[in-house]
Amino acid sequence: MRIGLLTEGGYPYVSGDARLWCDRLVRGLRQHEFEIYALSRTERQEAEGWIPLPPQVARVRTAPLWTAGDDGSIQGRRARRRFTETYAELAAVISTARQPGAPQDAPETDGPEADRFGSALYALAELARDTGGLIGALRSEAAVRALEQACRAPRALQAVRTVRVSELLRTAAHLERALRPLSLDWYEDDGLGSVDLCHATAGGTAALPGLLARHFTGIPLLVTEYGVQLRAHYLGTSHETPPAVRALLASFHRLLAAEVYHRAACVTPGNTHARRWQERCGADRDKLRTVYPGMEASRFTEVGEATDRVDPRTLVWVGRVEPAKDLICLLHAFAEIRKEEPRTRLRIVGAPAGAEGTAYLGQCRTLAAQLFPDEADGVHEIGDNPVSFEEIGGPEAPDLPDAYAAGAVVVLSSVVEGFPISLVEAMFCGRATVSTDVGAVVEVIGGTGLVVPPRNPRALAEACLALLRDPERRERLGAAARARALELFTVEQNVAAFHDLYLEIVSHSPVRRVLVDRTGEPLPFGAPAEAHLPGRWTEPRLPRGRPRWAWEPGEATPTVRATGFQEAVPAAKGA
Amino acid sequence: MSGLEELHRLGTTAPATTQDPAPADGLTTGLAAVEPRLAEGTDPAPGPSVRRGVAGSGSPGGVDPFSVPPSCGDAAESVPARRGAAGSGSPGGVDPSPVPPACGDAAESVPARRGAAGSGSPRGVDPSPVPPACGGAAESVPARRGAAGSGSPGGVDPSSRSPARGGAVDPVKALMHRHRDLCERAVDPLEIAAGLEAHGLTDRAAARFRHRDVFSLAEEMYARVPRDGERPPPSPAPADALRESWAWAAPALLPGVLCTAAVIAFRLTDGRLRLAAAALGALAVALGLRAALARGALRAPARHSPAATRAWTCWLLVYALLGDGLLRAALDGGPHGPWPPATAPLLGLALACAPAIWCARLFAAGARRRLAASRGLTEFTSSVTPLLLAVVALFVCALAALLTLCAAVLHQGAGYAGAGALGTLLLLARLLTAYGHSRAPAVVLGAATAAEATALATAFAGRLPGCGFLATPVRALADAFGTNAVPALVCAPAALALLIHATRTLTRASAHARPPGSP
Repeated sequence: MRIGLLTEGGYPYVSGDARLWCDRLVRGLRQHEFEIYALSRTERQEAEGWIPLPPQVARVRTAPLWTAGDDGSIQGRRARRRFTETYAELAAVISTARQPGAPQDAPETDGPEADRFGSALYALAELARDTGGLIGALRSEAAVRALEQACRAPRALQAVRTVRVSELLRTAAHLERALRPLSLDWYEDDGLGSVDLCHATAGGTAALPGLLARHFTGIPLLVTEYGVQLRAHYLGTSHETPPAVRALLASFHRLLAAEVYHRAACVTPGNTHARRWQERCGADRDKLRTVYPGMEASRFTEVGEATDRVDPRTLVWVGRVEPAKDLICLLHAFAEIRKEEPRTRLRIVGAPAGAEGTAYLGQCRTLAAQLFPDEADGVHEIGDNPVSFEEIGGPEAPDLPDAYAAGAVVVLSSVVEGFPISLVEAMFCGRATVSTDVGAVVEVIGGTGLVVPPRNPRALAEACLALLRDPERRERLGAAARARALELFTVEQNVAAFHDLYLEIVSHSPVRRVLVDRTGEPLPFGAPAEAHLPGRWTEPRLPRGRPRWAWEPGEATPTVRATGFQEAVPAAKGA
Repeated sequence: MSGLEELHRLGTTAPATTQDPAPADGLTTGLAAVEPRLAEGTDPAPGPSVRRGVAGSGSPGGVDPFSVPPSCGDAAESVPARRGAAGSGSPGGVDPSPVPPACGDAAESVPARRGAAGSGSPRGVDPSPVPPACGGAAESVPARRGAAGSGSPGGVDPSSRSPARGGAVDPVKALMHRHRDLCERAVDPLEIAAGLEAHGLTDRAAARFRHRDVFSLAEEMYARVPRDGERPPPSPAPADALRESWAWAAPALLPGVLCTAAVIAFRLTDGRLRLAAAALGALAVALGLRAALARGALRAPARHSPAATRAWTCWLLVYALLGDGLLRAALDGGPHGPWPPATAPLLGLALACAPAIWCARLFAAGARRRLAASRGLTEFTSSVTPLLLAVVALFVCALAALLTLCAAVLHQGAGYAGAGALGTLLLLARLLTAYGHSRAPAVVLGAATAAEATALATAFAGRLPGCGFLATPVRALADAFGTNAVPALVCAPAALALLIHATRTLTRASAHARPPGSP
């Protein structure tokens, strides 16, 4: 089947987010055909080019979000009036949107009021399709004026009532950028109109083409969010942005997220944290299916199955060095450990992230030197510090699995964490772990390692000591962790989960297309019944379509306006 | 210190925070002391978890009213048990079964101390008699200190007890104080929730504040932030980017300087050399003009400078140089040999490039200031319109002054009307182009060019037999007001048309959303 993969600043670009995951997904599902619809975020990203694409990627279409391309104003008075009315409606919804309560508090209300945002959005999309683009119009004076009127309306949010002109302009510019997918020509029959399923790799603007394809052609939409886009919007908004702008934009993104979750056939959060946000934003629980990100497990196999390389007195920390990892806490905890077990060593493996990370690494080195003086076994030996800072690729740890292999216990001391990749890697390596209770740690570790509160060096120290003193327990925990990771966090499970989801969604909401003959008349019974069955289309078996006598002599193969059935129809003819 | 004293001390409602070597920040400890729980059991319900937190904390005075003795005993037991067997590992052997007690106990036992030290359970402290089940917990603490605390800074000194307990009465208030900026600038509860999570607050930590999850905690915080409706004064506009760069100034003077040099060369040379000087001068001035307009406030967006506009501009300038003489010659039956070019108006126009760019900058900066200050679109429009008119008037004055100067130096007629109208027309056309409105200037400049060409053509056509009437209007005009009246009559209405267009388009707020010349 044909999958339309929707990305924003993501997959085919070398510097894209989540490109590894998308690449594995596309390579793993070679029986499907992928079309990639990518929005690029910066000029630099566009210039850096794409990563090599596998043959199952049939087509890549890109559109920039960074240029402010100007397609002029709308031609025609009627179209202009239509735009003004529609945009005013959208602005009114945005400026009056109240905070949604908890999902169970707000029962579904069906009615014209319930879906004002969606109808305004789709009306704008239809207008954009008719007029060939709205980029100029969305930045025009008419749009700004409509926004101003909406903000001055009596029911508007308090924060936006005193909005200033410069803030209106900023909001209009941001909305134009967020609504850029409306002006694209992706929704015709040779674009997203011909796919069987849209898979958006993020929420927000990336999922907008999927929403429109669903609106225009009825194509089901699958949304995968490893990080919730709305939350990223909140965290990414600069502090200097005026409150009115932030209120309007937050309201827009919240409504957009709710609309995406409402229309999507299935939403797959990457962890429970994302799932909670999605539920909070109005996602139906029945639609949510957690699909954990997959990681390459094979390179850890050797380390994970050989436990003899363990140095029983070494703790290992692996990750990118940055303040959120709270290495200071780890060093203090290690000081406590050393009081009880003086011969323990700590290896901190990782490169600093950015300038802040470099400064933090320097700070940690200083602290380590202060806390732990160099020491030697005897008076004639050369001393060494019990804490070592290394980088992957160095002589001590040439490879990532080697870094984990060296330690008896892997420690994670973060105060803020999303999905803890280093923890999963440690699990793959079959190492016992001690982690702080942040982000998705508890969900990942699931009882196969110790968890302590964040910012608590003594708790961390005691948990590490407990493991250091008990090799048997360490071994048991490590084996359990490896088993758990192999079950939940492999690439294979990720790809298989999406494969199942694709088939399930397509079988539940197949796209019904009308076949037409040469003259454009609809062709009754043109599609064989098998075409509606999922899972068989791309296999070489010949579906039994119309019997041969049903074909009139000399009749040409019916042209398929929407090419979704291109496998089925020629086969039917040959049968 | 005797065990009795220890018990007594713990029995008070104010456990000593100095037990903990960590900074005795009530809030930090409050946050950090996540209630003990099984590593897998992520029960977000506040009831049992808080209860267990208090029980495990081993503070006998702080017994939560919800606490049930058996469970209290459970949690309390684990502490001394683990402690006692410190050397031999934990008692609950590790079992990678779904409910691993060992993992739990490591996770549990540790915050337990923290909870005791940091007065973790903030609410529902009930100074009821010590239930028997908690006795174990109370005992365990001295045991711990006996085992590990000999060298630790957790020496028990009743005099050093922290009095900072008051903040914990309302932990949410303390949390709000800590995240003051976040709460004040949040536009909705979800923003607070996102910010809190970014600081590492989880649902389990939110349970300490008696909330189901971070979202409901954020809602309470959002609701409690005082909002008196007063907006903070708008931050001063960011330093104007245009003001900082003076790189435009030198190129802006380039056309004037080059044109002066060309005129001097033209005057000093003769014959064939003069022709070469003129050609070279024209080329130099064109390049200088290009350099001057490539930056600064009159820079045109990449795709908004159509070739037609450039062609019409060239024609109009050439007419200003040679047109008047040619028209006079045509009306007099000429031209009989070369006629003197009107270098003064052209030199004035070239020198006027600098004031033109400066005026455009003035307009852009003024519009930007008004943009930041205006409260409404109508207010902005009504405040920018006078600015635009003033800027154009300023340019006209500067142009008039330069024309007078050039005429005086070169001892020529200034041609105020024609050159002044042409200069204003070119300024407005370029200003509109810089703000992305390139169609109207192209049309108006084209019309002006056509009108001037028609005037010349009729003057020549009038010499054809039977066509004398064609030249009558031009001849009448030239005889009454001089040949300079023709470009004046053509350019002045054109400039007026562009001025009207500019007062409608350039006074809109959306025209100033981006600095002029940006693509």
